[in-house]
Amino acid sequence: MSSTAKARGGRVGLAVFLAIAVFPASGGLLYALLYSLGGVGLLSRGWTLQAWIRVLTGSEFWRSLLFSSTVAAEVVLISVALGLSLALSLGERLQRTLGTLLHVPLTVPNVVAAFLTFQLLAGAGLMSRVAVRVGAIPDTARFPSLVQEPWGIGIVLAHVLLATPFLVLLFAALARSERVSAFVELASTLGANHTQTLRRVVLPLLLRQALPSLVLLFIAILGSYDIPLLLGVQSPQMLSVLVVRKNGIYDLAQKPEAYSVAILYSVFTLLLLLRVIPLQGRRREAS
Amino acid sequence: MAAALAFGCRQGDADAAAPPGSWRETLLRARGQTVALAMWQGDPYINAYIRDFVAPRLRRDYGVVLRTVSAQGNQIVSMLMTEKEARRPNSASDIVWINGETFYQLRQIEALYGPFTDRLPNARFIDWRNPFIRYDFQQEIRGFECPWGNVQFALIYDSGAVADPPRTRAALSEWWRAHPGRFTFDVQFTGLTFLKSLLIEIAGGGQALAGPFDESKYRESSTRLWAWLNENKRFLWKSGRTFPDGVAQLHELFASGEVAFTMSNNDREVDNKIAQGLFPSTARAYVLDSGTIQNSHYLGIVQGAPHKEGALVTINFLISPEAQLEKQKPSVWGDGTVLDVTRMPAPWRESFTSEAPRSYAPSRAAIQGKALMELAPEYMLRLHDDFRTHVIDR
Repeated sequence: MSSTAKARGGRVGLAVFLAIAVFPASGGLLYALLYSLGGVGLLSRGWTLQAWIRVLTGSEFWRSLLFSSTVAAEVVLISVALGLSLALSLGERLQRTLGTLLHVPLTVPNVVAAFLTFQLLAGAGLMSRVAVRVGAIPDTARFPSLVQEPWGIGIVLAHVLLATPFLVLLFAALARSERVSAFVELASTLGANHTQTLRRVVLPLLLRQALPSLVLLFIAILGSYDIPLLLGVQSPQMLSVLVVRKNGIYDLAQKPEAYSVAILYSVFTLLLLLRVIPLQGRRREAS
Repeated sequence: MAAALAFGCRQGDADAAAPPGSWRETLLRARGQTVALAMWQGDPYINAYIRDFVAPRLRRDYGVVLRTVSAQGNQIVSMLMTEKEARRPNSASDIVWINGETFYQLRQIEALYGPFTDRLPNARFIDWRNPFIRYDFQQEIRGFECPWGNVQFALIYDSGAVADPPRTRAALSEWWRAHPGRFTFDVQFTGLTFLKSLLIEIAGGGQALAGPFDESKYRESSTRLWAWLNENKRFLWKSGRTFPDGVAQLHELFASGEVAFTMSNNDREVDNKIAQGLFPSTARAYVLDSGTIQNSHYLGIVQGAPHKEGALVTINFLISPEAQLEKQKPSVWGDGTVLDVTRMPAPWRESFTSEAPRSYAPSRAAIQGKALMELAPEYMLRLHDDFRTHVIDR
């Protein structure tokens, strides 16, 4: 009796999962695929591979993918470095007021972070005005603006500002749940010095557990829209900005290209997830 | 070609779809309808004109409730295209504020209702003989959109920082070289209108590019335009590696003093931006000696609009002498009228001719001689794409 109820519950759960998670996403992808191939769409002139050929043979998509991945990787690396060092150096203090304060940046929406970064670093922004006031540069036009430049410095900075507090909290929580301090004590009892403990014990423990979250962070940044829209340049553009531009571009014939870029992006992130998730499963089995 | 085909097959069935009856009947049916107007909402003055003047009058005099929806140009096309693709019978918007390539594209996807302008009583005041009103990007409007306002592109500079602004293309590049990083233009509608004015100058000026899109003429003049830009772009803002995404962003750069120039499709915008306190009072507008583009903007009714009568009544009010005069005041919006003053009843004629003088913008009479006609929409579509390939990505 209870096992049939359990089975029924499982089926309902599966149905709900399919209905709210799988069906809309795969339906959207299917529509995108049809659109990119000319199967649907108001201006479609029949099936064609034109959009795909243009996207795959042109440099725009590849440069956008490279730029987006670079930005996302930079953000993950910098904020992991900052997050780890803060979590480890602050230690117990994170349990108190400081930990609560760290939650505040988590409530800042992306758009607001982008806007603040812009106000701070633009050519006529706050930093630039301060630099003029203290006499470091003659006028604001000389300020090396860090937003809307081809390296994406402003984009990386805004994302790092948002991601670091999250990672501090994540690493601090992991350190507690993985009983890192116990292992550290054990290692030093066995004669390991501070650097050895850090490199052989603390970092592997924390990073391995944090890996799925870091991959998700990478994907979130890869697909981010508002921050690169406000702080980026026209070329190269990050993937979401590129898709939206192609979707609403003056030339309606380019709309199918927006859909093929969107599909390529989804496939890329899916492959990334598929590579990481089984790895985690196997690790868990091993331990 | 596609547009010509669309015109051909659309006119027949449009008449059949028109709600029957006189203007009186239209007024009766419109009463109680809530009309959705999809418009660009980037200017607080324009928003205030609609909210504080138009909407209360419509409600009081015609029982029509006006609601605004924020969307412009390609967003409108994208929105209506999606509605059609989803086969939604009733559109979320009734009236769309459009012109040029948006009109062209909406005709392409058959998203506009019409012809309807001959049903509007106030259409008799419109200056139909004026080619700048009758043709929208070289396309005859044929009653599928109603003229609402008429403006001319102008460059805006800070006379406090620039004593004698450059008035020719050669003078422009010379000024850029002497003042690196102090000039730029946006990659949307306004910046493209600037490039179009330069393209016409390169092609020989005046009517050189008039008529349907001409591939060889375009290729020849645009090649020269890109060569000139690539030669000089390193003296633009951010060394020409990137450009502001829209004119609002360019206005901000100008207001914060980061650049010394901005631009507007509306020759009178400088007046209302100074009044808003956004631009310094030293800001001035002018046009290039080789001319700048003058165009009109229009109101269209969506094919699937659920409140067509309300839409007709609203548009008829918007082209009334009363609403047009109010809109023309620099303290309200500063948008040029599409009405022919000589066709108006005497009292209105006087009000229009005794228009408040422009304080910071050049007078219309002074720049009318330098007005260039809009080009066929393909020029703008190609410029938009090619600017990216030949200038930004280089």
